[in-house]
Amino acid sequence: MKNARILIVDDDPDLTKALKVTLESKQYTVLTAANRLEGMKKIKNDKPDLVILDIVMDTWQDGFEMSRDLKADPRYKNMPILILTAAKDRTGIDFKPSAGDPDWLPVEGFLDKPVEPELLLTEVEKLLSKKT
Amino acid sequence: MEPMPQDTRLVNRAYWLIKLRWIAIAGVVAATFFAHSIMGVSVQDIPLYCVAAVLVLHNIISLLLLKRLLKTRADDIVNPIEKIINLQISVDLVMLTILLHYSGGIENPVVIYFVFHMIISSILLPAWESYLQATLAVALISLLAVSEYEGIIPHYCLQGFVACNMGHWPYVLGTVFILSTTLYMVVYMTSSISTQLRKQEEAYRQANIQLQQKDHIKDEYVVRLTHEIKGHLAAIQSCLGVLVNKFTGPLNEQQDEFAGRAYDRTRKLTKFVRALLRLTQMRLSDKFEMDIFSLKHTISGAIDAVRTKAEDKTQTLSFDIEPAAEKAFGEQFSIEETVTNLLLNSIKYTPANGTIRVNAKDNKEMVLVEIADTGIGIPQDEIDKVFDEFYRASNARKVERDGTGLGLSIAKQAIERHGGKMWAESQEGKGTKISFTLPKHSLRQGKKNSDSANQIINLD
Repeated sequence: MKNARILIVDDDPDLTKALKVTLESKQYTVLTAANRLEGMKKIKNDKPDLVILDIVMDTWQDGFEMSRDLKADPRYKNMPILILTAAKDRTGIDFKPSAGDPDWLPVEGFLDKPVEPELLLTEVEKLLSKKT
Repeated sequence: MEPMPQDTRLVNRAYWLIKLRWIAIAGVVAATFFAHSIMGVSVQDIPLYCVAAVLVLHNIISLLLLKRLLKTRADDIVNPIEKIINLQISVDLVMLTILLHYSGGIENPVVIYFVFHMIISSILLPAWESYLQATLAVALISLLAVSEYEGIIPHYCLQGFVACNMGHWPYVLGTVFILSTTLYMVVYMTSSISTQLRKQEEAYRQANIQLQQKDHIKDEYVVRLTHEIKGHLAAIQSCLGVLVNKFTGPLNEQQDEFAGRAYDRTRKLTKFVRALLRLTQMRLSDKFEMDIFSLKHTISGAIDAVRTKAEDKTQTLSFDIEPAAEKAFGEQFSIEETVTNLLLNSIKYTPANGTIRVNAKDNKEMVLVEIADTGIGIPQDEIDKVFDEFYRASNARKVERDGTGLGLSIAKQAIERHGGKMWAESQEGKGTKISFTLPKHSLRQGKKNSDSANQIINLD
């Protein structure tokens, strides 16, 4: 899916910038948001094709709550979410939906931070192709 | 070794008391037989054998009471155990008095054996309870002596052993007096020593608990610190990744080289920080989901995950599992991670064309898993250190300069959290065998399991 619109929601500006350039190398249009509120606003206005979501932002569960809100909303429930987080290392718990309750973290993809650019691009491409 | 809590120590000593009584009973039977049937001393053998029989019954009842008490898993077992011990010692005192009555009364030097009861009582019980036991002993001895002297009950002289002195009142009074003071002195001396020991032991235990708490605080600090570092590292690595992958355009040869070096080192540092976090996190957390899981599928999964890496080095990977070892109890994900990491280690340190064998065997209540390779091995004097944090064997450093030295520590920690053990056997140049055990069923009973079932995820 060329020229797809991707929204990155992450509170680390340097990391966000690096991800943006990485994704732009594949001709994606990249939007960014630094917190949950801004993220929801951009989702509503710009209707991205994919959201890359951090978990720990202003609160430690922003990403969890946001993904649950999005999946509960019929307008956005088909928009794939890719979680990109360092939270797994902090807890030692596997967050992958396959490892637990799909209702608990209803997302399409899950990657550990920091991520190799290649791995990120492959995962993004996979999620976008599934969508169409 | 970790000092034992008060209750475990008391339980062990309650068993010890029962064991001692079996020896005493054997002594009574043997002494009676020897005195009566071999030496021809005029002891009342039938009543004495009866005393021995009653003691057998007494000991069996004591044992059953103790076992039943331990089964109830009451929160406070110190009190009821002390009660049982008190009762046992009192019964023992009465039995010794009866035994003496049928074997010469206070004339029998066995009367000294009251001292043993006082010592045992002073070791096991609080001082004031031991003084009560001493008072009971003194009362029993006096009662026995006076009743026999006054002719209320018969006195059986030990003909063929000592002359009969019961008619001589200064002897009776003197013996009772000296015995009584001896018993009180013994209780006084033994109690003061054992009270002091008990206090010391408790102080050590408290100090140990404090050390553990400090260690916990240190671990929490390490987690906070490394997590903070990791956040910055993730940003640095991602930014360097943009340069190295030339997303911003071409670099000249030197720029490319230095960006590449920086990127490489950052990745290694990230790997190290991640491993350190994992290890510390594991040490901190006691909540994890344990369940019966298929060890067979878990090990197969780990082997599948590393198969291409082994094939790249044309190594042979094999796996055997005994039917009785196919299921284990624990956190499946953690075991799969552990086996995967051990296999990656083996692949890394085994030359091309080598073999790596995984064997899972039945070992009574446990499952024994062995991962044996034909790799570089571990130097003999370093085997004990390879599980230490940050330790890297001298020959491993030659194979890979920048390992974290945390891989085996993490693996060992994970296994020990399950109540298993992990150890290494190796011959340098020939290969290494890492073995670990896992329980087949839950080792912990009751409370703790339900806690881990209601696991909550807490990021702070």
